This record gives sequence, structure tokens and C-alpha cells, in this order.
Amino acid sequence: MADAALWLMVIVLIVVALILVQLLKRILKAATSIPPKIDAIAGVAAAGSRDLDAVAVLLTTQGYIGSIKDSVLDYGGSLNAALPDY
Amino acid sequence: MEIQVAIIILEVAVIIGALAVFLIATILQLFKINAGLSVVLPLVGQIVAKTGPVNPVVDDINANLVVTRDALENLMLKKGGPDAAGLVESLFPGEGAKFLKRVNRSGKVVNVGTVYTRGVGILAGLGRGAPIGAAHTKGAAVRDAQYSTTEVAKLYPAPPDRRNPDLVIPKAPVIGKDPVHSPYEPAQTPGARTRDAQGNKIETPPPAPAAPPPAPPAPTGSSSPSSPSSSSSSSSSAAAPPPETPAPSGDSPGQIGRLSGKGLRPWER
Repeated sequence: MADAALWLMVIVLIVVALILVQLLKRILKAATSIPPKIDAIAGVAAAGSRDLDAVAVLLTTQGYIGSIKDSVLDYGGSLNAALPDY
Repeated sequence: MEIQVAIIILEVAVIIGALAVFLIATILQLFKINAGLSVVLPLVGQIVAKTGPVNPVVDDINANLVVTRDALENLMLKKGGPDAAGLVESLFPGEGAKFLKRVNRSGKVVNVGTVYTRGVGILAGLGRGAPIGAAHTKGAAVRDAQYSTTEVAKLYPAPPDRRNPDLVIPKAPVIGKDPVHSPYEPAQTPGARTRDAQGNKIETPPPAPAAPPPAPPAPTGSSSPSSPSSSSSSSSSAAAPPPETPAPSGDSPGQIGRLSGKGLRPWER
């Protein structure tokens, strides 16, 4: 009876070891797939950060648009005075 | 020690060893992930910092553009009136209807630039030959009342048969054979004039009977060839005046009503 219980425990341990190895392999596989993606994200983020350096030009555009608005309003006022209404 | 116990101890050792190997490898990968994220996070922070002022700047630009657009549209409405949408349509195709919608107006958008040759509409509104902007478009035409016909005739020269070939007169502006956005519907009776120059309705002759008898052969020596219109409407043609013969290009003017207050036009003198 004791022998049978021991043999049963041997079989159970073998099965447990196989399942455990499979699960650990999956975990390791998932973990190893993450670093390449992080490297890719780092490259994209660096490129995006470089592209966004042009955002500073928006401040210049903002100034130009303000000047254009003032000029158009001044010119429109002159046209309003020069041309007759419909 | 029995063989089963030895096997069990061996299996436990194998399980512990597998756990150690895989967990150590996983830990190493987690270290790599940590290092990678430490590189990525500052870059993301840079992106966030750089895009931070974009929204207020773009909002300010949009606000300025909207103010400019509203000012120009109001000016266009004030000066162009109902033609404003057509002017916008001529400059930016497809924007005329949106312009009308923005200013809460309705109506048909007529592409002025397509219908009229550039500048002719303005000249027509101001009085032909008048300097642009010289007077109100609704007021009296800015032109010489005494020589007005001559001024118009300078813009729109005489037909070729009455034109002095020695004078270099520019051609009249061409509107176009088939404008894309023409506001005019196609004529229901193309080539037929239903009203005369004074606006009176021209009575059309009744349709001819189904099978008119064959006309007798024309006597020899008659100069006019027999045509169905002239033969069928002989009674009406008796009342109608004979067609005008083209005036000779000599001294006699020939065309009544084409004279200005001072006489013939420059190229007819």
C-alpha cells in the first residue's frame, strides 16, 4: 500500500514538473518579447520629439497671423472708406 | 532508501532547478524592460512638454483667422451685396454656399467669375467707361452724358461690317461658350425670337397644313427661289417690312438710332 502511494506521488510530481516548466516558458517568452518593443517605442519617441522641435515655429506663425489680421483690418477699413456700399 | 523516495527527491530537485532557471531569466528580462522604460519615459516627457503650448497657440491663431475672415466677409457683404457669394465662389469654388450659410443668407450662388469676364461686371455697375470706385454703384452712371454712346461704343465696337478696318479696336469681352456655373437656363426655343427689341410678343404664324399642294413651277425669270416659309406665309410676309439691306459703308449712316449726340462714332467718320 505504501509502495503504491509512493509511485503515485512520483507520477504526480512528474506531471506537476512538466506543467510548471511549460508555464515558466510562457512567462519567459512574454518577458523576452517586451524589450524589443520598448526599443522601438524609444526610437519613435525620439523621432517624435525631434519633429516637435518645429512647434516653436508656431510662435512665429502666431505673430505673423496677428500682424496679418491687423493689416487686413486696416486695409479693410480703407476699402470700406474708399468703395461705395452696395 | 527505497527507489520511489529517491525518484521523488530527484523530481523535487528538478522542479526547484527549473523554477530557478526560468525565474532568473525572467528577472533578467525585467531588468532590460526597466532600462528601456527609463530611456522612453524622458522622451515621452519631452513630447508632452513640447506639445504643451500648442493648444493655446493654435487657438489664438484660429481666433485671429476667424476675426479676419469675418471682417472680410462683412466687407464683402457691405460692398458686394447679393453678388458677394458669387465673388467668393469665383475665387474659391464651393465656398459660396458656405459663405451664405455663415452669414445667414440664402439664395442661388452665381459664380460671377465664370459668367462675366473679369472687370466687366464692375464696369457695368459703375457705368461703362467710368473709373472704378469713382461713384456709388447705385447712383447715376459716371460718364459723359453727351458722349456716352461714343464711350460705350469704344468699349464695344461696331460689328465687323461697319467697322473701320484701319482702326485697331479690341474685341468685345468673351463670356465663354458654355460656362460651368451659368445661371441661365437653356432656351426652350433655341434660335427663335419670341419678343422683338421693344419687348412685344411676336406672333408666330400658324403651322402649315399637313400636306400642302405642290407649288406650281416658277415662271422663268423670277428671281426669288420658292421656299416653304415664303410660300406658306405669303399673307404675313406682305405686312412685314422687307429685310434691311446692309448700309453702304460710305457717307450715309444708314442705321437709325446708332448715332450719338455728336454724330457718327470715331471709326464711322
